[in-house]
Amino acid sequence: MSKRLALVLVTTLVLASALPAVTAQDDTLVIGFLPGVVDPFYQVMQLGVEAAAEDMGVEVVTQIPPTWGVEVQTPILDAMVARGDLDYIIIAPTDKDQMVGPLEAARDAGIGVITVDTFLGDGDYVNGPVTFPISYIGSDNVEGGRIAARGLAEAIGGEGRVYINSTNPNVSSVEGRVIGFTEVMENEYPDIEIVGVDFNLDDMNTAVSQTAAVLERVPDLAGVFGTNVFSAQGAGTAVINAGLGGEVQVVAYDATQFAIEQLREGVISLVLAQKPFDMGYMAVQFAVADAAGVTSLPRRVQTGFAIINIDNVDDPEVARFIYQVPE
Amino acid sequence: MAVGEQEIINNGAMTRQRERRKQLVLLLSRIWAWVFLGIMIVFFIITVQLSSGGTVNFLTVRNSQNILVAITSVLLLGLGQTFVIIAAGIDLSVGWMMSLASVLSALAIRDSFNAGQPLFAAVVIGFLAAIAGAVVVGFFNGVIIAKLNVPAFIVTLGSSFIVRGIALLLSDNTTVIGLPPGVRDYGNNALLYWISGEGGGLYFLNRPDVSGEMLRRMDRILPYPVILTAVVVAIAIFLLRRTQFGRHTYAIGGNMEAAVRAGIPVDRHLIMLYILSASTAGIAGFLSTLRFTAGSAVIGDPLLLSSIAAVIIGGVSLFGGAGTVIGTVIGALIIAVLTTGLVMLNVQPFWQFIVVGFVVILAVLIDQSRDLIMGRMETTG
Repeated sequence: MSKRLALVLVTTLVLASALPAVTAQDDTLVIGFLPGVVDPFYQVMQLGVEAAAEDMGVEVVTQIPPTWGVEVQTPILDAMVARGDLDYIIIAPTDKDQMVGPLEAARDAGIGVITVDTFLGDGDYVNGPVTFPISYIGSDNVEGGRIAARGLAEAIGGEGRVYINSTNPNVSSVEGRVIGFTEVMENEYPDIEIVGVDFNLDDMNTAVSQTAAVLERVPDLAGVFGTNVFSAQGAGTAVINAGLGGEVQVVAYDATQFAIEQLREGVISLVLAQKPFDMGYMAVQFAVADAAGVTSLPRRVQTGFAIINIDNVDDPEVARFIYQVPE
Repeated sequence: MAVGEQEIINNGAMTRQRERRKQLVLLLSRIWAWVFLGIMIVFFIITVQLSSGGTVNFLTVRNSQNILVAITSVLLLGLGQTFVIIAAGIDLSVGWMMSLASVLSALAIRDSFNAGQPLFAAVVIGFLAAIAGAVVVGFFNGVIIAKLNVPAFIVTLGSSFIVRGIALLLSDNTTVIGLPPGVRDYGNNALLYWISGEGGGLYFLNRPDVSGEMLRRMDRILPYPVILTAVVVAIAIFLLRRTQFGRHTYAIGGNMEAAVRAGIPVDRHLIMLYILSASTAGIAGFLSTLRFTAGSAVIGDPLLLSSIAAVIIGGVSLFGGAGTVIGTVIGALIIAVLTTGLVMLNVQPFWQFIVVGFVVILAVLIDQSRDLIMGRMETTG
């Protein structure tokens, strides 16, 4: 029996020593990074976070939820807070209202909150309903939606029926894109009709079947707007499967390798590249600055876009915004 | 003569030895989940200490409370499921039932509060709305399974899609917001508050009004969702162990035909079981509305498989007839401790899937080996 106990202890110790050893010094800043879900966009953001951490000599603790949702993100957040050694958390909230409570609890535990990509409340941390986060660093999603709308309108010649495939309701980023897209179509393109919005709940398979169904329902569909990685890849795949590549134009949010491939094949006409690396890098910089006592940090930073089409996709100045994920 | 005596003595000794071994296996099969949970906690206490160089501690008041809050949803989904699986059924609709209840209770709380009800009454109305929805769904499942003899797997799979659609429709495809801010207190306040260190102390019911450094040292002990879940667990234990309802549940799962012949009203009982299962999922949805101050038509989506895993790890036999409520509690705890521990170790939570997968299979193996040994004992003894 005691031999068995010894075996357990030895195994434990061996496993423990194999774990990533965190060399903790009390004066090192520790920053948590908790994106929304596993996808290439957040992977690039993680590269930015890690690069900044190395440049600035701070320590980063990264956790990635396996699926999108507050019931998945909250226990991970709580456990990160319970570590007791975090000074800041860089997070992409998975719901702009539901994540307020859990993040307030993190704030109460003395952790500075910086939101990236998605925001809490209405994203206005100065006058809005939620003001406790230090800053929101992300694309101007409404503007991104407008750019996507103009790009799609141009590709289909200013008339026809278009469809939006989105991921989740009440997530600030994709919601903003739909708002901007709809606004431009209604105000600037009277001959374009939006036939509907579907939510694929961050599942590419669902996005494929939803888009396929709309292609059946609306035989003269002219274009599709995919509001993020899953939506755009799913929409593009459905168009290819239906043999309509080039006939039905797709505008894709997020410059994944997959989207760029479809751009080269002529299925996708325009790709909006966000700058997740910038978001991650700057968020760490902001945490370091806040810790150093800087008080004039902007509460909102817009990281901008690169617009990629078939003409400029090989231009190195543009191509560097394609999401490069290490193999 | 002397040789024969010797043989009898030998046989006696062997029987005793075999008996002792059987007892050991039985004991082990009953307590292995506890032992596993214990080993896991010790493992995390040691490894979290070592890997952080002593700065991070797994064994804290805050972490223990986090784990208790984290298990509430999975555990509530698993509670009704425990009864259903003991009766040799399955309920695949609980995840989306939780989502529907979350939407129903959020709408009910918001609308009744806006119609002038006081906050507490609005929250109670929200609870009743969640339960009412659950009773309807559970009744629907139960009647089709019991009266029309459609396999539970198919019925509840089908109803899960129906429930999912209704939840998304009712919520108008978005998170149901606009709840009175006091709702958050019901979902997040606690029975006790403990502020460690200087100027601290223990506060009962009233959240101490502190800020800054004191606030950081404040731990919430027994948040309301944990208390409500504990009450439901206690009721479930009583129901399964002490009542005719519980005995009938085991009897139906053990041998349906015998149960019918013994005069147990099997159909009615099955309908009750699916209503019970939907109801505990309904309570989970109601609690998530309080915790997140909003209703969501997708909130229970990722939890279904975890809840079934918790039930299996807890030793409920998928063939029916065996299992306990406490087992399910342990199963849910194992999953929650794993998530929390891995995050504190800074290991990706994806490992949780792998470990939980192995533990589920291990649980079934232990269950089977017990049955095997029990069976052998009967045939040879």
